[in-house]
Amino acid sequence: MQLAVNIVVLTAIYALISCGYVLVYRVSRVLNLAHGELMMLGAYGLLATASLFGGHPGLALAAAGGFALAVGVAVYWGLMLRMTGESVLAAVLCTIALGILLRGVVTLAWGAQQEYPLAELGWTNPSIHVGADARISAASLALVVLTALVYAGLFAFLRHTRWGIRMRAAGQNPLLAAQRGIRLHGVYALAWGLATFTGGLAGMLIALDSGLQATMVTIGLKAFPAALVGGLDSLVGALVGSLIVGAAEVLLIQYVDPLLSDVAPFFILLAMLVARPWGLFGTREEIDRV
Amino acid sequence: MSAALRETESAARQPSPLLELDQVEVTYHRIAIAVQGVSLQVLDRQIVALLGSNGAGKTTILRAISGFLGVDDARVSEGTIRFDGEAIANRAPHWVTGRGIVLVPERDKVFENLSVEENLDAVVGRRAAAGASMRQAVYEYFPALARLREREAGYLSGGERQMLAIGSALMCAPRLLLVDELSLGLAPIVVEQLAERLCAIRRDLGMSILLVEQNAPVALGIADYAYIVENGRIVLDGDRGRLSGHQDVQDFYLGAGGAGRRSYRDVKQYRRSRRWYG
Amino acid sequence: MSRIHASGYYRVDYAQDLRLIQTRTQRGWLFAALAALATFPWLADAFLLDLANQVFLASIGALALMLLTGFAGQISLGHAGLLAAGAFTTGILFKELGASFWVTLPASAAVGALLGLVFGLPSLRLRGLYLAVSTLALHFIVAYLGGEYEVRRGFSTGIVVDPPQIGGWTLDSGREWYAVLLVACIATLLVCINLLRAKTGRAWQAIRDGEAVAEALGVGVPAYKLLAFVVSATMTSIAGCLFAYYRGFVSVEAFSLFLSIQYIAMVIVGGMGSLLGALLGAAFVVLFPYAIEAAMQWMPFAQRVSGMVFAVNYAAFGLVMIGFLVFEPQGLVGVWRRIQDWFLLWPFRQRPLAASR
Repeated sequence: MQLAVNIVVLTAIYALISCGYVLVYRVSRVLNLAHGELMMLGAYGLLATASLFGGHPGLALAAAGGFALAVGVAVYWGLMLRMTGESVLAAVLCTIALGILLRGVVTLAWGAQQEYPLAELGWTNPSIHVGADARISAASLALVVLTALVYAGLFAFLRHTRWGIRMRAAGQNPLLAAQRGIRLHGVYALAWGLATFTGGLAGMLIALDSGLQATMVTIGLKAFPAALVGGLDSLVGALVGSLIVGAAEVLLIQYVDPLLSDVAPFFILLAMLVARPWGLFGTREEIDRV
Repeated sequence: MSAALRETESAARQPSPLLELDQVEVTYHRIAIAVQGVSLQVLDRQIVALLGSNGAGKTTILRAISGFLGVDDARVSEGTIRFDGEAIANRAPHWVTGRGIVLVPERDKVFENLSVEENLDAVVGRRAAAGASMRQAVYEYFPALARLREREAGYLSGGERQMLAIGSALMCAPRLLLVDELSLGLAPIVVEQLAERLCAIRRDLGMSILLVEQNAPVALGIADYAYIVENGRIVLDGDRGRLSGHQDVQDFYLGAGGAGRRSYRDVKQYRRSRRWYG
Repeated sequence: MSRIHASGYYRVDYAQDLRLIQTRTQRGWLFAALAALATFPWLADAFLLDLANQVFLASIGALALMLLTGFAGQISLGHAGLLAAGAFTTGILFKELGASFWVTLPASAAVGALLGLVFGLPSLRLRGLYLAVSTLALHFIVAYLGGEYEVRRGFSTGIVVDPPQIGGWTLDSGREWYAVLLVACIATLLVCINLLRAKTGRAWQAIRDGEAVAEALGVGVPAYKLLAFVVSATMTSIAGCLFAYYRGFVSVEAFSLFLSIQYIAMVIVGGMGSLLGALLGAAFVVLFPYAIEAAMQWMPFAQRVSGMVFAVNYAAFGLVMIGFLVFEPQGLVGVWRRIQDWFLLWPFRQRPLAASR
């Protein structure tokens, strides 16, 4: 039973991070390998707002969320906008470089020691009993619930609102979208903002649960295979991929070798790339985009 | 501008044309001149056709008007393009759409992963309020689309796609509609229906249409005026009657020559008549 | 492949055409470079010698990556994994079998070739982004295997490797390493030049510029892709072996993703599709941290961040890489060519066409 709980929690973590990869890729065909670092920046943002808005944790959370959104939009306007029109590889390398830059900046600004935003917010993180013999921490439960809400929200947004339809249109055929009056820069900025917001949310919740340190970035990197296995332009795929990778990781830690946990996602990734590069639910695209 | 044009249009001419190209030259990659010395006009409520064979430069002219040259590292290097008196050369596509010029492209003309209804909804039109009523109008012009509202656009047939493309262009409430290769890949009867729809649209909604076509009979069937483009230059222009009756047009574009095919090499008369038109 | 030269140089037979050094100017540059390289060890102190050695070591890897990514067009983010393979082969053979230099070097090359084959297999099905991702995954897997070995065999702090012995002579002074590494670097450079001037190089560039067209023209695309990976990986593995001996130490932490990115940066900062670019890029990336450290002495807030030099390095590195990607995609070689153009074309000016260089 505890295993099942662990799987659910890990799946939720990966899912919440993956939807950021999917949003950016689906709309602008760029693989944002700085997502892990942006997620970490969001978590550190919470640390900052928590100490800023001392007695008002709700306000701190809202401010941190707004900060994450703003950072995403800023990254697009300041950097990725200049890379539109360049080759996709150049854009990806740009995101890698951005990730490195952020890692350095975050360490410079906040230091390399472990932080505890939970304490800053003045909250506690009790264990909740699930069933007879399983436990889940409150922060993890919040994460699972929020992931479900985020996905529901994203599905609703993309299927049923005007701008969601326009985002999907811009992702499929940017030239035609521009011709039909859709401001591509606005759509891309929105996608980046949403992606960084969800990533920051994931970072914040993980930090609330288990502390905050720069090494959080590796979680972001491990979520990437989950996104790709499901299909880089499919939200449903991100959910399924996260489940596969999360379950594999938990089971491997339990039954085989704890050291494998860090590399298992990449074995799955490699297997999927060889068998079906566009993932389980992705659109079968021309895969030479350099 | 040629004397012939002045002659025939003087009676019904408005003070200024809706769209005017004056000695336009388009250059690709700063070295390759694609079209040169192109001057044409589209008046209000007029259907104008651009005829010519493959690679003549018709699509380049459309791209120059609709602002899409930047994608291919091209630009209008000389001449002016005026829409309603305003210079629009080398502007961004969405700006041009905002002014009321909308392009129905030759390829990739619909959003394949969206349904028909979503394709129409995705458009950001000039007048947001006109959305629902325009959508209703689109379904009235193209009843086939009304039956296929929920169908994903990627699964539509060629004719249905073209209808959807025109419909989504209409959602932008254009004053000038640019249509690139209306008849490409479509069965003749479908092309006839589409052409007739375009005439109805022009009549009811009061917009002008600039039609690029390789299929000269179809184009001359609905156009009020036509220009023939060859090798990046306009070599002939005139109204429907004059062009349909012109010997060279009949031989090379309408396939209705006299006994025996004339070789394209045998162009003495062609060159002479080109001199007439300057 | 050869650039347009200033007027006055005519080639009247094939032998002349095939010569590597064709003009007096090139001969002059070569002479100057060789003279500088030869006198350097006698003028420099131990620190500078170490820097030079690091640059030579990095150049070998950079040249290999330039062949693969810059000329054959196959993106590889797993370069550090290949370096690790060479280094670990050396370390393992030394630790387990006490093997000498004459065994570890060929063994590293062989392991590199084999791993190159593995890295290259996805390229037969994938291109561009997905290929890069597959190399990334393979890098992590190789790093994992290295880590597993360390843990299982109890070398959690790394494997210590003795300096190589050739006959009775031990290779452990800065100047001796300088000579060895310089020769290795020049040898690699000559091999690369040779490959690129021949059919192989043309096939690679054809694949890079238009794979479908290359295939239609009869270029054996899968074979050449694999060849690119194997050649590049062998060179890199040898570099890893030399790296292990030079440092005297092998540990998995040294072969992180950041190292892969550094090599990609060498290729980009240097300028894609140019061997000179690989050398310039290698020099740039190797010397960059030292430059940052020196610059930090001058910065007002140096005291506060002096304990976190690596973070400053990261930030500066990321910034510079972004700068090159956004503003100077042709890299240092592009800058060099612009300078050359300015002199060649003065007083005329010409903006180069996008696709011409």
